Amino acid sequence: MLSFRTKVGRFCRNEYNLTGLCNRNSCPLANSQYATVREEKGICYLYMKTIERSHFPNRLWEKVKLSRNYEKAIEQINTQLMYWPNFIKHKCKQRFTKMTQYLIRVRRLTMKKQKKLVPLSKKVERRERRREAKALVAAQVDRAIEKELLDRLKKGTYGDIYNFPAHAFDKALDKEGEEDEEEEEEEDEQESEGEVEYVAEDEFEESDISDLEDMDAESSSEDDTEKPPAIPKKKRPRVEIEYEQEPSTSRTTS
Amino acid sequence: MAARPLVTVYDEKCEATKSTVRLPAVFRAQIRPDIVSFVHFQMLKNTQQPYAVAEKAGHQTSAESWGTGRAVARIPRVRGGGTHRSGQGAFGNMCRGGRMFAPTKTWRRWHRRINITQRRYAICSAVAATGVPSLILAKGHRIEQVPEVPLVMSDKIQELKKTREAVKLLKSVGAWPDVQRCIDSKRLRPGKGKMRNRRRIMKRGPLIVYGKNDGITRAFRNIPGVTLIKVDRLNLLKIAPGGHVGRFIIWTEGAFRQLDEIYGNWSKKSAAKKDFNLPMPKMTNSDLSRLLRAEEIQRALRTPRKRIVRSTMKKNPLKNLNLMVKLNPAAAMLKRRAIMQEMKRKKARQAKVDKKRGVVKDTKPKGKAPAKGKAKPAAAAKKEQPKKK
Repeated sequence: MLSFRTKVGRFCRNEYNLTGLCNRNSCPLANSQYATVREEKGICYLYMKTIERSHFPNRLWEKVKLSRNYEKAIEQINTQLMYWPNFIKHKCKQRFTKMTQYLIRVRRLTMKKQKKLVPLSKKVERRERRREAKALVAAQVDRAIEKELLDRLKKGTYGDIYNFPAHAFDKALDKEGEEDEEEEEEEDEQESEGEVEYVAEDEFEESDISDLEDMDAESSSEDDTEKPPAIPKKKRPRVEIEYEQEPSTSRTTS
Repeated sequence: MAARPLVTVYDEKCEATKSTVRLPAVFRAQIRPDIVSFVHFQMLKNTQQPYAVAEKAGHQTSAESWGTGRAVARIPRVRGGGTHRSGQGAFGNMCRGGRMFAPTKTWRRWHRRINITQRRYAICSAVAATGVPSLILAKGHRIEQVPEVPLVMSDKIQELKKTREAVKLLKSVGAWPDVQRCIDSKRLRPGKGKMRNRRRIMKRGPLIVYGKNDGITRAFRNIPGVTLIKVDRLNLLKIAPGGHVGRFIIWTEGAFRQLDEIYGNWSKKSAAKKDFNLPMPKMTNSDLSRLLRAEEIQRALRTPRKRIVRSTMKKNPLKNLNLMVKLNPAAAMLKRRAIMQEMKRKKARQAKVDKKRGVVKDTKPKGKAPAKGKAKPAAAAKKEQPKKK
């Protein structure tokens, strides 16, 4: 009927339609005696409706399972629709043939490697890309690397290294200078045993002097205080003389 | 008329009870979608509320035309000054702030009267159509799981009080997909109706026709899509909504049994309606293919003319030899003779000419033609020349 017909092209949307067209001959509503072949999950069924059951919609369609074997199924259709109008018989068989063909194709396709198509949302992709870039910048990877390297250096995993790129070294020292001030303030509060540190003259550098000056400027207790081994100070290329009496200096020597 | 089978009555659990009702004769009335459509359309007009433009709209000015000679259009213009409005056009349908063309009036003929027989015919047709499952499906109702059409339920459902029970009933009877279809179709109305208290629209679902209201109205009325009417007040606007036949109707047994009294069957007049009997169909048997195959009609026909005569294209025998030969068999011979004679004549003439010129002729080329630029004639000419000399 016209209610099942598509707006564009004369097709019938009724699921029992035999040909797919909206015709008087093909309409399952308009014909009281009608048959179709339908496929569910790879199995083909023959559906028939007769005028005797036309007033009982829930029993209307009689469903016959068709054999897997093509020839046998055609014979089944022939026997079931034996005295039916030729049009319906013919179309049922045609439809069944087409169905078996596409089912074969389906099976073949599923055997092959199937690429799953995943749709990309352009908007989302663009957004995520920008966010990645921003996150990269925000992570400050180079700084983290620097910090990690310095830590390792301090720990002494590299042994003593004497070749530092000048600007990096200076920067580190500057930082250390600030750190020192902070740390020293902290240390004022902490009272630990004073320790004398002896530093080799060659390896004395300006920054060291400045540090020392800073140290002098602050209280004398600073000289005495040593940073607890948990907080290692500067990474300087220096050789330290350890007094065996006091092995608490945990600095690893070269 | 057509046979009237027995319709089983179903109880609330949707099991077939023992009781059956003979199909009321209404269901065998003629289904005339044209009459239904016409009557429905007329009936719709009767619920209209008049609308009109304000009576004085566009005329509440004392505008007068400035006449000619002022380099402006001659439309009446507003008098006075000191405001934007002065000098603007007034009164015309083309003017801003003017009255519209043909202002709508309240005394338009809004309502229509429809002949009572026509009205009754339409209802009978519409009810008959509700007994045809194809028409109901074509209208769009999902009745694939309904046990029988027309669907008659026992009178117990008239006593239902709770909507929950009503819903359970509809589900057991297979009418729920139709209700679900209505629920899924809830949407906003396009247009200004939205702000005129007609905001939402949805499809129509099953119609429930009952004989006596013992609470059924309250149980079913809140279910989307469901409409309820009493059998003695059947309304075409409800049975054929949109003017299209084939609404899905659920009858109660009492209501169903009353239909014969209300509409009569052809042998008996209607008890409820004055002087009414079911409409007589124009054809008692409308199965055209069956009729044409019937013995009585076939006997009265002459034999069919199976020979197809197609118009042939006229060909000119003077140009078309085959056609000429058909008309005059001697023509072929004549033509051949003519050709042969011509050939002979030509040969003889050529021989004469050659003799005169003293040419010994072997084969084809007319060696006489000099400046053709082709090798053969040139060669022939060259051959000739030394001989001539």
